[in-house]
Amino acid sequence: MENSAIVVGDAGAAPICVRRLSKRYDARQVLNDVSLSIEPGSVLGLIGRNGAGKSTLIRTMLGLIEPDIGTAEIFGERALAMSDRAKERLAYVPQQPDALAWMKVGTMLDYVARFYPTWDADFARNMLDRWQLPRDALLGKLSPGERQRIDLVRALAIRPQLLVLDEPAAALDPAARRELLAEIAVRAADAGTTVLFSTHIVSDLERVASRIVFLHQGRVLLDAPADEIKERFARLIVPKDAVTSDKLAVELHRRKLSDGSAALVIERQPGADWPEIAYVPGARLEILGLEDLFVEVAQ
Amino acid sequence: MDASLLLIQPAAPEPIYRQIVGQLRRMIASGQLAPGDLLPSVRDVAGQHAINPMTVSRAYSLLESEGALERLRGKGMAVAATHRRIQPEDKRMQLIDLHLRELARQARELELPSEPILRRLGELLEDQE
Repeated sequence: MENSAIVVGDAGAAPICVRRLSKRYDARQVLNDVSLSIEPGSVLGLIGRNGAGKSTLIRTMLGLIEPDIGTAEIFGERALAMSDRAKERLAYVPQQPDALAWMKVGTMLDYVARFYPTWDADFARNMLDRWQLPRDALLGKLSPGERQRIDLVRALAIRPQLLVLDEPAAALDPAARRELLAEIAVRAADAGTTVLFSTHIVSDLERVASRIVFLHQGRVLLDAPADEIKERFARLIVPKDAVTSDKLAVELHRRKLSDGSAALVIERQPGADWPEIAYVPGARLEILGLEDLFVEVAQ
Repeated sequence: MDASLLLIQPAAPEPIYRQIVGQLRRMIASGQLAPGDLLPSVRDVAGQHAINPMTVSRAYSLLESEGALERLRGKGMAVAATHRRIQPEDKRMQLIDLHLRELARQARELELPSEPILRRLGELLEDQE
């Protein structure tokens, strides 16, 4: 049992595997019993409101924060004591990069290149041009957006097997965001790169993610393949006289409406019919886009 | 076929793989894609539209299992040679049925009688010619 959670298929250890993570800051429970295993080659989109615990989860996954309870592994190694070999296969872009602020852009990239056998210097050069980033500027003098774009170039040029991006969209205009997403898609297709990225821009997830995880108040509220979400979840408006007092087994979320009816988010198994309650007289079923689903369950 | 000819709407209620399946089915049914025509590679579609490659593979596999596409060794996916160039009318009607049902549903919601709807639909169909 223990092993089957770590080893995925024949591709060896899962790039990321965390079990039962909990983390508390003072009185606030930031992570609450989070378990996730990310299969090689998947693009996992982590979504949640501000303060849902996304950054803490990512940093705990990577061994940058020690959890109160639970374990985190990267390529089968303890995240808190990762070997250099595991580190070489990994690139991480934090939400607000601040390392090496005293270096110039070009110097920093040349410096980082020496640690990574897979470094792609042509790619780094091209991206700096494309995103109009100055090689000669001091990192510390750049705007937060430019600083994060430089860090994205750094992370992508490593050609890592595991790419972890914390809110990468924040620093990018729509055209550059699309370029980044296309790059992620092509890396996944060509090299089977595993990607984990957090965002609150839902349309980015709908495009490129193969799996979507909603984090809400430190818990995993929903975890499903991206292709199935629209077929598995729906909003059901149940008329007043059919509203049950008990929570239904298929019910993910419930919101009472002013007229006594209720808006439920319900789930069905892939390929199965909607549960019986969807067919009571007066009930209305609405297929939700990811954004509406997110807003509905995150209130 | 060029990957950019597909129209991907991530926010639509229909999952992306179904959007791809639906468009390719219609293109094949109408003869816009002929037997033997090559489809863009999974990588090209994924890169062009910034969508997950597994989503594209899933759409192609579905069409392959239906017999609409076939895998040519070394060349990738192509419209199946055995697929008749233009499907009979009842088959093509099936492909549009879902959209007609949706139209009917919305017309009922708006409590519109069928006459003006059919008239308008007739106009739109004529327009295209």
